[in-house]
Amino acid sequence: MNDIIENIKTKGMQKFIALGALIVLYVAFSVFGNNFFTVDTLVSIFDASYYIGFLAIGVTFVIITGGIDLSIGTVMMCSAIVGGTLYNNMGVPLWLSLFVIILVGGIFGLLNGIMVSRLKLPPFIATLGTMMVASGIGSIVSNVQSTTFPMRSAADGWYKNIFRTADNFPTGIFVLILFTLLAVILLNKTVIGRYTYAIGSNKEAARLSGVNVQRWETVVYVISGLFAGLAGIAYAATYTTILPGAGQGFELQAIAGVVVGGTSLSGGVGSIIGTFIGVFIMSILKIGLPYVNLQPHYQTLITGIVVIGAVLLDIYRTKKEKSIKSKS
Amino acid sequence: MKNKKILCCLMALVTAFTVLSGCGMGNPSQKTVEMVAKGFQHDFWKAVKKGADQAGKDLGVNINFVGPEGEGAIAAQVEMINNAINKKPAAICIAALDTTASLDAVNKAKANNIPVIGFDSGVPGAPEGTIFANASTDNYKAGELAAQKMYETISQKLTTGSSRIGVVSQEANSQSISMRTQGFLDKMEKLIESTGRSVAIIGHTKFSNGKTQGDVIIDVAIPPEINDTQGQTSAQTLLNKDDLIAIYGSNEFAAKAIINADAAISGGRIGNDKVVAVGFDSGALQIDAIRNRKFLGSVTQDPISIGYRAVELAVKAMNGEEAEDVDTGSQWYTADNIDSDAIKPLLYQ
Repeated sequence: MNDIIENIKTKGMQKFIALGALIVLYVAFSVFGNNFFTVDTLVSIFDASYYIGFLAIGVTFVIITGGIDLSIGTVMMCSAIVGGTLYNNMGVPLWLSLFVIILVGGIFGLLNGIMVSRLKLPPFIATLGTMMVASGIGSIVSNVQSTTFPMRSAADGWYKNIFRTADNFPTGIFVLILFTLLAVILLNKTVIGRYTYAIGSNKEAARLSGVNVQRWETVVYVISGLFAGLAGIAYAATYTTILPGAGQGFELQAIAGVVVGGTSLSGGVGSIIGTFIGVFIMSILKIGLPYVNLQPHYQTLITGIVVIGAVLLDIYRTKKEKSIKSKS
Repeated sequence: MKNKKILCCLMALVTAFTVLSGCGMGNPSQKTVEMVAKGFQHDFWKAVKKGADQAGKDLGVNINFVGPEGEGAIAAQVEMINNAINKKPAAICIAALDTTASLDAVNKAKANNIPVIGFDSGVPGAPEGTIFANASTDNYKAGELAAQKMYETISQKLTTGSSRIGVVSQEANSQSISMRTQGFLDKMEKLIESTGRSVAIIGHTKFSNGKTQGDVIIDVAIPPEINDTQGQTSAQTLLNKDDLIAIYGSNEFAAKAIINADAAISGGRIGNDKVVAVGFDSGALQIDAIRNRKFLGSVTQDPISIGYRAVELAVKAMNGEEAEDVDTGSQWYTADNIDSDAIKPLLYQ
């Protein structure tokens, strides 16, 4: 029993605070919101969480290595546009187009990985460049036209069922949980995860102890790219039409979710479950705030304050933790 | 070694530029009209471009049609307008995202004796004499048309008890979208008050009529950011109110938001015998909703005519002729006339 409490105190505190905040928010909106507490609203919260969730899970890997991936938002849109164009204009079957969407995300990830690990570009700059490249490629591929995926009524509408069935059952939440668990295993039980933390804690030490830093850093960006591709499918399934040139800003929403979930931007610390919770905190705010009849500008303001508060809390907690450790 | 690499990169860049700049050159013997649109994201602009290109062919001028990545990119658009002026074209057509931000550029054009033509929403509020003429939809009238058609269907439900009409508006800054929302609100208020019932317009402060209580409440929702998630949330907040009897989306984005939000509600809320939905413009999702009678109908502008008339005005301006503003008109369409010859060319997927 004492062990559990000790464990919560040292490791999981942030996660518990985050989980607590999530529940408190949901309850608060249910009490004060007009019609917030319904299954439909819950499904909407899920809808808003799928694509941001995939983006956030992928970028968590990168952030734990001490890097950043700013390209995920536009890469998501670009890969969806590529897939949609293949499907609409070139008669490629839908399943193959969906597969290509993930692949395109992975290719952008590889590009980021090579720039960061081999060419030694700072991650911020490399992925900022890729952000623009992806946005441009999306516009070029689609000839600056919006891409429409098949509607539910169409013959190829089956892919929508991956995220929501016709009678509004949120299948997507299981898909998201499945990939969350996959990422948890990847991060905690495999060599990829071990090296991810190692690189983030101390890159030089990792290199000296024989870790092939270049390879594993590349892998981490590829993971982020692949998840951006997944996010592209989720976005297409939820919103049907994809606009070229869009997607900027989603990466910051995802990163905000990661940070709220307790992953440190300085690297070495972080968890997928935390990210999962963080993403839902952001989604509940996004969906819930209009239900309490707030003007739009107040919604953005409050979301910003929550992000800052979460990071402050994290810094405060790590400080305290360190002082406890140094005393004992 | 390193220098060689850099040299290689530079050469590659130069080659790329030469190749790219080769595209997009028009006939050098013709005069050029620069057109700065609000972006290409929405299919609406493709139709405008189609009309402009056709007019360019008919009237013998080169058209250079540009626009920023998205409709939020005000600064990028101002740069585009400045670039267009620096090329010293025969005339320039502008659909400004933000009037005040574009004013300097418009004044610069005047100083350089380049005539400025407004299209789509134009450059509303520009100082007298800076704009030659506008080719645009009378958005206020178009909004009134939407209100009129919606009222004809829901007037029965409005006579007793309290009820709510929802409005989704993409934003409150752009003149064209604000006017469509305003035109709708004013007309609806007038129509309902003529039957002796009181109306309160709530939601966004810009559109409020100062009342908070009324027999009919018109609830205006504006998403905090222009993206699909926020749009859908705003629409869904309205659809989740039990007393809602009708809903209006004042552009393609808003209509899409309503459709997506409705799809996320078990059983759906909108339909001709349920919550009456009215949209604006077209696009694949909206056309589908109208065909399936989820939407009562929508108001469409005439984007091809907007592009064509703008170029026509530009040619008049460069020839020193006089011209007046052109209302390019708007039409009401439903599942019944969607395939008619009058409507079909105005719609885009």
